[in-house]
Amino acid sequence: MTSTMFERYGGFAKISQLVSSFYDRVLDSPLPSPYFAKTDMRRQIDHQTKFIATVMGGPTSYTDDALERVHAKLEITDPAFDEVAMLLKETLEDFGVEDADVRVLCEEFVSRRRYIVDR
Amino acid sequence: MSDTPEKSDDKSVDLADLDGSVEPETLRRVLQNLSLACVIADYSSWEILFENATFFQWFPPKGDRDGLLTERLPDLNQAKAEERLKKWRPISFEAETKPGGREIPLEIELRPLPGDDGTLCIVECRDIAKRRQAEYMLESYSHMAEKNARDLRREKERVEKLLLNIMPRSVYEEMKDYGTVTPQRFDDASILMLDFVDFTEMAVSRDPSALISELNDIFTSFDRIVELFGCERIKTIGDAYMAVSGLPEANPEHAQNAARAGLRMRRYIERRNTAHTEAWRCRIGIHSGPVVGSIIGIQKYVYDIFGPGVNMAARLEVQSEPMQITVSETTYNLIKDEFRLVDRGKFEVKGFGTQRLFSLETEIAMGR
Repeated sequence: MTSTMFERYGGFAKISQLVSSFYDRVLDSPLPSPYFAKTDMRRQIDHQTKFIATVMGGPTSYTDDALERVHAKLEITDPAFDEVAMLLKETLEDFGVEDADVRVLCEEFVSRRRYIVDR
Repeated sequence: MSDTPEKSDDKSVDLADLDGSVEPETLRRVLQNLSLACVIADYSSWEILFENATFFQWFPPKGDRDGLLTERLPDLNQAKAEERLKKWRPISFEAETKPGGREIPLEIELRPLPGDDGTLCIVECRDIAKRRQAEYMLESYSHMAEKNARDLRREKERVEKLLLNIMPRSVYEEMKDYGTVTPQRFDDASILMLDFVDFTEMAVSRDPSALISELNDIFTSFDRIVELFGCERIKTIGDAYMAVSGLPEANPEHAQNAARAGLRMRRYIERRNTAHTEAWRCRIGIHSGPVVGSIIGIQKYVYDIFGPGVNMAARLEVQSEPMQITVSETTYNLIKDEFRLVDRGKFEVKGFGTQRLFSLETEIAMGR
């Protein structure tokens, strides 16, 4: 398969919609939502869209350094991270992302735990 | 809807009544009249226990089994939904419906009914046409942005290619990075000058456009020869062609490379003359010595080289007989072991006094 996931799943428009739906769920969830109390969600969704687009092979770049920088001092716990990871998995499934791709994307997400969770 | 006239009666429902003591019939009417489609179903059997008017309108019953949610919502992935709901998790998906011929995009969400320990779930369908419009707009703009970025990149490549025609790559990189180019001295360089005999007369006596087109062919071929032997074309002035070897990267073979390029150019002209009625005859001069290379000009810049060596090469070229390559003693000493040269004796060279000159015949190893 030559085309990237980014192309196959409909580019920016579709992915931003997916990310938007993902944050609806995150904000509804009691464990992770307090971390976003003071977040400008428009920017948050914009950033996350770029992150997901990057992981899907889209024309953006999002570095692990940047991830680590923005998550420092947030004191994110493992349970909150796990909850968000699960919500992402459900969102991807609900948007008709194929199982194999869901697995790849969730692995990419979880592999960055050390940049997100506070040690 | 027949309920509409009764809406005015709803005003009589005050807040005290809403506090847990609303008439079930009122609640039912509220649900019936919601603008979003809403269903209560049992996900163990997928039986619809309640549906409101909007749902009925969007997904009208069709077959015998229309009491089942799975029949009314063909896009519902039954297995996945059951799996998710059993884990007490919501599931959502998108679907389209065409109740009045016009397609409505919908977002459909199934949630286990809070406070219920059985298998009831709420189904909500929202019209997402507005969101689709925004998405479409976003997509078209991102396409536009991507296209612009692509065009810009192509344009940049084109400009780069143009600039590389008038200056060496390393000079171009320096100019791109720092905005200016520091003049640089190259101690070991060889300069090649070429001119055509009687070009001025040819220009008058022949069809100028045909002549220029031939000159263009010849210079284009020279460019290839020059590149092949690691030289740089510096410029052409009318029918004169100037190339240099040994810069911007130093090359111990600079004199040999210039000699090889000169021989190859002469051979190209010879070959060309046998195939064409109009004969071109060239003179070539090669000299080795230090030069300074730099970008000259701000608006209309060119890369040029300077130094007495450049003048010397020009004088040598004038000293050549037609189709002869004249080489200075300096160059001779650098290449005499690899090339066959003929001593032409001493000449008075303007600005350089008496000079012993040589004519370059062939490369020994190559045995032209």
